[in-house]
Amino acid sequence: MGILETVRERKLFFDGGMGSLLVAKGLKPGELPETWNVTRPEVLQDIHLQYLRAGSDEITTNTFGANGLKFGGDGEFSLKRIVTAAVENAKIARERFAKERRALADGLPADVTGTAARAADRPVSGAAGTEPCAYIGLDLGPTGKLLKPLGDLAFEDAYELYKEVVIYGAEAGADFVLVETMSDGYEVKAAILAAKENCGLPVCATMIFDKKGKLLTGGDVASTVALLEGLGVSMLGVNCGLGPVQMKEILKEILSAASVPVIVNPNAGLPRTENGKTVYDIDADEFARVMEEIADMGANALGGCCGTTPEHIAKMTALCRGKKQVLPEEKDRTVISSYAQAVEIGRLPVLIGERINPTGKSKFKQALRDHNIEYILREGVTQQDHGAHVLDVNVGLPEIDEPSMMEEVVRELQSVIDLPLQIDTSNIKAMERALRIYNGKALINSVNGKEESMRAVFPLVKKYGGVVVALTLDESGIPETADGRIGIAKKIYRTAAEYGIAKKDILIDALCLTISSDSKGALTTLETLRRVRDELHGKTVLGVSNISFGLPQREIINASFFTMALQNGLNAAIINPNSEAMMRAYYSFKALADLDPQCGEYISVYSGTAGTSSGTGKAEPSAGIAAGGKSTAGSPASAASGEMSLARCILRGLKEQAQAAARELLSQRDSLAIINEEMIPALDQVGKGFEKGTVFLPQLLMSAEAAKAAFEVIREHMSGKGESRQKKGKIVLATVKGDIHDIGKNIVKVLLENYDYEVIDLGKDVPPETVAAAAAKHHAPLVGLSALMTTTVPAMEETIALLRKETPWVKVMVGGAVLTEDYAKTIGADRYCKDAMASVNYAEETMQKPADRKQPHVSAG
Amino acid sequence: MDIDYRETLRYLGYKNQAADEAVLALVGQCWDELERISSPRSFWREYPLTAAGDEIDACVFKTKSLALARNLKGCQRILLFAASLGAGADLLIQRYEKLQMSKAVVMQAAAAAYLEDYCDSVNEELRRRYEDEGWYLRPRFSPGYGDFPLECQPAVVAALEAGKRVGITLTDSLLMVPSKSVTAVIGVGRTPLACEVKGCEACGKTDCEFRR
Repeated sequence: MGILETVRERKLFFDGGMGSLLVAKGLKPGELPETWNVTRPEVLQDIHLQYLRAGSDEITTNTFGANGLKFGGDGEFSLKRIVTAAVENAKIARERFAKERRALADGLPADVTGTAARAADRPVSGAAGTEPCAYIGLDLGPTGKLLKPLGDLAFEDAYELYKEVVIYGAEAGADFVLVETMSDGYEVKAAILAAKENCGLPVCATMIFDKKGKLLTGGDVASTVALLEGLGVSMLGVNCGLGPVQMKEILKEILSAASVPVIVNPNAGLPRTENGKTVYDIDADEFARVMEEIADMGANALGGCCGTTPEHIAKMTALCRGKKQVLPEEKDRTVISSYAQAVEIGRLPVLIGERINPTGKSKFKQALRDHNIEYILREGVTQQDHGAHVLDVNVGLPEIDEPSMMEEVVRELQSVIDLPLQIDTSNIKAMERALRIYNGKALINSVNGKEESMRAVFPLVKKYGGVVVALTLDESGIPETADGRIGIAKKIYRTAAEYGIAKKDILIDALCLTISSDSKGALTTLETLRRVRDELHGKTVLGVSNISFGLPQREIINASFFTMALQNGLNAAIINPNSEAMMRAYYSFKALADLDPQCGEYISVYSGTAGTSSGTGKAEPSAGIAAGGKSTAGSPASAASGEMSLARCILRGLKEQAQAAARELLSQRDSLAIINEEMIPALDQVGKGFEKGTVFLPQLLMSAEAAKAAFEVIREHMSGKGESRQKKGKIVLATVKGDIHDIGKNIVKVLLENYDYEVIDLGKDVPPETVAAAAAKHHAPLVGLSALMTTTVPAMEETIALLRKETPWVKVMVGGAVLTEDYAKTIGADRYCKDAMASVNYAEETMQKPADRKQPHVSAG
Repeated sequence: MDIDYRETLRYLGYKNQAADEAVLALVGQCWDELERISSPRSFWREYPLTAAGDEIDACVFKTKSLALARNLKGCQRILLFAASLGAGADLLIQRYEKLQMSKAVVMQAAAAAYLEDYCDSVNEELRRRYEDEGWYLRPRFSPGYGDFPLECQPAVVAALEAGKRVGITLTDSLLMVPSKSVTAVIGVGRTPLACEVKGCEACGKTDCEFRR
């Protein structure tokens, strides 16, 4: 009987801590515990045996920190040797324990006096001697690195590190994989995928939550359970971080969300140091007592983590053995997640923002072609500010490489926005690339009733987890009747079940055909919605705005139809959340349908507004004042009409006002005159103030942001007239290899762009070769490098040396906290820039003849 | 925690100048967002200390450092200390770096001040606890201060199991991630310090832009 069958029958007991026991046996500070698998196998075997005697059904291999980062090469401590030895030690302990047990069963004197008594109490599963008396869990701990984008380990590299351990551990004979002590959902995803793709063993995962029920990287219990179950773990739970007392609250939350058996492995208590030793606030008796409560609450597998010993486990098993096993009920909840939060699709209608989609949007298409990620991010943030719960992501354009674009956009969006994403593509490769690197359980758009579609999409849903939008069409097209659509929905549910995908993970798209061509279109859709809810007990989704295609003033129809659809049971709507009419329909429906207690949300959104603004958009901070203070009043701003001159708006860092002023000015003056006579002087003034120390960094940047906003208005105006403003030149910027702090570089970028340079931003942790290649490719005259730490300056030096060799024409400016004028010279830089303005000045100096200054190049397009 | 305008502005380069309202408002917003999103954690462990001249043996690391030796003078024990605001603060900074750089720099400064205030509050608790038993703490001193080598960082992080307890990891170049993290040693001795020199004043880098 395997571990998964056993846990269905009775409470399962895991072992306890390892580290403190090894320290007691003489493990030195700084010594890697896993080396003892090879050098002191007898110690490991003995610890495992003690846990077995204490009543553990499971022993965890001593491979918590075993990975290729710590154990490379082929020597005594090769990773393979460490992992194989770890499993061997567990197996040897298990054999010795089985022997003790057999000896007892046969009535022979046990070879270890007294201790075998407990072994006799153990439930024996299967015929003695043929079934394992305990399960060996291959331990996968955190890599010790934080994943990108915050840290320096790529998701794919984390996957490879785990893959190696999994292969060795499975080969050596582990019974299941235990991913544990994880505090980052993204890292746990890498580990689980590595386990699932490289061995056939069951995979279990336990995470560290803090007292507030949060992961280190921000996820909560609901989002984590969604992620783990989506990835197909056999059991999940919580370990480390807290004592059993504090875990009770977390357990409650897990039990309310999970459908698979739940593991609880707490520390021995909350730790403190006394006379140099770590002690815990509760003892083994108290630990066991609280674990008994935890067993009664519904935990299915119980053990210990840091500080727990065979004594803790023995006392716990004594109290908990024989308790009735109650497995969590299958939860009928449709949940998707981002790294930070879960969104449940059910009672409350969920809004899926549709704006990240190039269809019919020339600007968006251009942004995709230009890899203008910022534009896409802003589309996302605006929708979030207007109340979207999920963002649809569609980047399909005939001329681009959709799989890599999809991956890039998903990576960027999930590093900035904490909403779950809906991966919207018909390109299966793009879908898989996105799902693989997605940090959570995604919404997937879409599958349909065609065999081919289901065959391609369902395996991905099963493997990566996700909730999938299912269009009610098939080989014979879109049925005209609700009957036809319900039939397809049933077929989709049936086929999904064959792949092991539950109904709750499918959203039936009832489809709407525009009423301009089929006057019954809306009624058919509404009937379908109703019947999916009432007859199939399923969940629904709809791209609402299709209903009005071909009609004038589409919002009018859309909003009314949206309300009708909600009333007929629509669970999730793909809409434009920036549309006032749609949001009004949403908020009023919730208030009317008793989904907004005391109309609280409605009131908070609409009280105090005159009915023109939804009020959901966050107001811009009342931005900057007085760069340069009083002197600004009469200076460069001369053509001021309206409230405030453009120059003054820039000086004071007022974005929206700057745009309005620019628009106003464009009706009176030439674009170039505005730039040269209003904007540049204002920027210069702020820059000078910064250099003198009267303007500070936040103000400098607020002014830059205001200028940028105004530039956008002017650029649009120029392109409307077929003009464009030529950039002054290309500058490559990078934060050097090994360095992941690039805020300084990003400040420089903002300012250089303001001064009309084309910045090629290579990001952070950039290898020298990449910098040199970019400088060569763009034939850039100037490269800017940043490094924060003394430890990364050598990488900067290396980069400069390579640039000198590969791109001898290039000038190099450097900056960063530890650099100085002298230091910069030593490593061969052309210029040390102490701050962002210094970089602008150097760029102006090297890349522009003084005469050009007042006459930016213009070319008619 | 109360909004620490003073330290936040100092990190932004203000010396004694007054910040305008827009910047102050931004500081307030950032502080609120940090308060909502970050869950500061800390952990410490005590070890016996032996020092001879500038040679320090703190059990988990041995090093030569004049500055550290001065800091630990007269101490018999040493606390290793780690604290972090967690990944939330970094995520906020990263978000605004993409969306609104002015807010990103304020967020970064606010997070630094927030972390420092948090460390001070934990430190204060420790001070009280030790003084009740007749021990006195020295100011926090971090790897990388003066001539206290940054290379001691991995040993400190490992000894504290800072990865799982506080969430601190190191990059290959010994940067701490999340970035709003602190490791430090705190000397423990039987005699109180006459005049406590800490923070900027304890640091040898006198040409630092941010020196108080």
